[in-house]
Amino acid sequence: MQRKFTNFNSWTVTAAVIMLLLFLPNLTIVTGIFTPTNENWEHMKEFVLSSFIKTSLILISATAILTITIGLSLAWLIAQYQFPLRNFLKWALILPLSIPPFIGAYTYHGIVNYTGIVQSTLRDHFGLNLSPAFFDIMNLPGAIFIYTMFLYPYVYTITRIFLSQQSASLIESARMLGKGPWRTFFQVVIPISRVSIIGGASLVVLEVLNDYGVVKYYGIQTFTTAIFQTWFGLGDIESSIKLAASLMGFVILILMIEKILRGRRQYSYSTTKVRPLPLIKLNGWRAGIATAYGLLILSLGFFVPIAQLIDWMILTIGTIPMGEFLTYVKNSVLVAGISATAIIVFALIVGNFSRLVHGKIAKLLPKLTILGYSIPGAVIAVAVVTAFIALDRFLVPLYRLIGMETTLFLSVSLVMLISAYIIRFFAIGYNSIESGYDKIGTDFRDASRLLGVGLTKTFFKVDVPMLKGAIISGFILVFIDILKEIPLTLILRPFNFDTLSTKAFQYASDEKIMEASQASLLIVGISALAIVVFYKFLEKEPN
Amino acid sequence: MFISINNVCFSYPNSESPALDHFSMSIEKGEVISILGRSGSGKSTILRLLAGLEKPTTGSLTIQDEVLFDDKTFLQPEKRGIGMVFQDYALFPHMTVAENILFGLFQLNRADKKKRLQEVLELVELEGFEKRYPHQLSGGQQQRVAIARAIAPNPHLILLDEPFSNLDAELQVKIRKDLREILKKANITSIFVTHDENDAHALADRIVKLKDGCIDLIGRPCDLLGIHPHPTPQFEQVVETRELATV
Repeated sequence: MQRKFTNFNSWTVTAAVIMLLLFLPNLTIVTGIFTPTNENWEHMKEFVLSSFIKTSLILISATAILTITIGLSLAWLIAQYQFPLRNFLKWALILPLSIPPFIGAYTYHGIVNYTGIVQSTLRDHFGLNLSPAFFDIMNLPGAIFIYTMFLYPYVYTITRIFLSQQSASLIESARMLGKGPWRTFFQVVIPISRVSIIGGASLVVLEVLNDYGVVKYYGIQTFTTAIFQTWFGLGDIESSIKLAASLMGFVILILMIEKILRGRRQYSYSTTKVRPLPLIKLNGWRAGIATAYGLLILSLGFFVPIAQLIDWMILTIGTIPMGEFLTYVKNSVLVAGISATAIIVFALIVGNFSRLVHGKIAKLLPKLTILGYSIPGAVIAVAVVTAFIALDRFLVPLYRLIGMETTLFLSVSLVMLISAYIIRFFAIGYNSIESGYDKIGTDFRDASRLLGVGLTKTFFKVDVPMLKGAIISGFILVFIDILKEIPLTLILRPFNFDTLSTKAFQYASDEKIMEASQASLLIVGISALAIVVFYKFLEKEPN
Repeated sequence: MFISINNVCFSYPNSESPALDHFSMSIEKGEVISILGRSGSGKSTILRLLAGLEKPTTGSLTIQDEVLFDDKTFLQPEKRGIGMVFQDYALFPHMTVAENILFGLFQLNRADKKKRLQEVLELVELEGFEKRYPHQLSGGQQQRVAIARAIAPNPHLILLDEPFSNLDAELQVKIRKDLREILKKANITSIFVTHDENDAHALADRIVKLKDGCIDLIGRPCDLLGIHPHPTPQFEQVVETRELATV
């Protein structure tokens, strides 16, 4: 045991403290299960809990099936065939990811509602007066459509990268053995890409369970909306902790199903040589259908909502005072910037700890802390508030000592929101930093130490400069995610503190969807830019 | 005795058989030792243990009467005064040749730093390359920078891990000669690990052959010549001769 902790030092201690802080708040949820139940909870358990579970199950399974269908078919088309606009579609098909589903939800509602472009065109130009019910998308199928259109890129990207880089010899052998394109697709492509498909689909499912914006706007009852309602409507934090615990149980179940589905078949391939899949040229109507299909999905997931948002922005420009708008921008950049910086610093420390200390515990602990990303925002919000109120109670004597009147200080400050972001998005930053550490290995660090330079100085002079790429990409990913975030920000922001996303959500909820367009477009613009830059960078990386 | 390694044992986590089993040897000052063995024989482990990058389970290590490791002591790598040339050189890619070499000289003043830099650059014949980055150098030049960087702080001992594995065959012969000259000129005790008999014979004062974490043979290159003339024993007989000779 002693040997394993050769490098027990300040790095280990700091990393342990960080991991504990990241992990502890979620424990409050677990303890919440054991508190005595009250009337509200009994009522919920009896009448509504099963309907939440049913709705959530329908939402996630339908979205998973549809995103897999769209994502996999597009990935296969792009990876295997050459057709007009293929090279443009290859990266553009990722763009829908830059539109947060709640922005997509209210934009589509605006497009198809009574005064929207679809119905008014039909009325004014074709004299058609169809029943508004026909166009109603504020229901379960509507929400499934929204999630599918804006989340399919998770499945598409992961599967496409896998197919175009790793499948050449398998697919070519299938062809040589006399399988046609359809049979190759069903008998070879789907089985070999199972791990990527499930990986992508589970990200989609976690996003759906985390979502608050879409279901709230469309009036669909799920766990997340119920957590909000119990808390703010009924003022019953204990029951909302119990709801959060049920949701967490649900998520753990999903993670277990994912693990079982992935199985032991990790399909690592037998040669280390990565050979790209040669493209087959499509001609005539086949090429036309491929291009049309790609463009249709891209339009539904990106161009149509963007066009509508731009139209609304032009109509409303000047209605929101510039100063006010700039405050939202400033707030967004401030919280996202501070949180992303903290996450990257913590990830660097924990990542360094993980490679300094051998042994199973050292490898397992960081894995536990990154669980935060699978836990929905609303659950983390409940956990963080509970933890911060307890902390405030504990600190009251200190507040008195320095002459403060208040009993709640930390739990009404930005510190709470930023801590919650850190817990929720730590995984994103950590993954990037960890792969950076993996890439540079330990030789450079060892070389530096053998030249007489201690661990900490080595970290700043050798590790950090060499991790620059991982640090930048990790920061961008976290920053974008926080910019788009809704449930945590809504629950935990201090009074009167608005960000671009809360403002967009608030305008949309107040039926001022046109006014919501400016903040939304800014979020989408920044995200789209970052996504394109990031994936272009990822493509260039040698494997 | 300059360096002494006593009864050192070591096993990697998740591995049942020990990587090094009661290994002992002593080395004189200025000696060039070659550790020869197949992959998995434990040869790189010895270097990592001496460098302090791994910790032995039992045994002791001393250099010039300073204890690096025993039951009570474990000296951190940065405190050992041992230089190492890594298999793929591990030159810091974000630093120039000069910055790489000066990295370990932080205790010297400016004038001394400059002087030492010129000395080692001269030793490895790379004057004028100070401002280049590692990726602008050939494989052989990179290796010489790595040697210069390791030698610059005047270590008690320099460790070289498969120093020729990344070079093409033609270059290997030339660099082997250069390396012996550099090491002898600098009068630094050195241990290098290789799987190539020719390297070992051309460079070393003494050769240690390792097998399954234990010493199989040890002696001067000329002593070992008759015992094992070919890199790979092909006949049963050869193995028998070897065993006889060892006894």
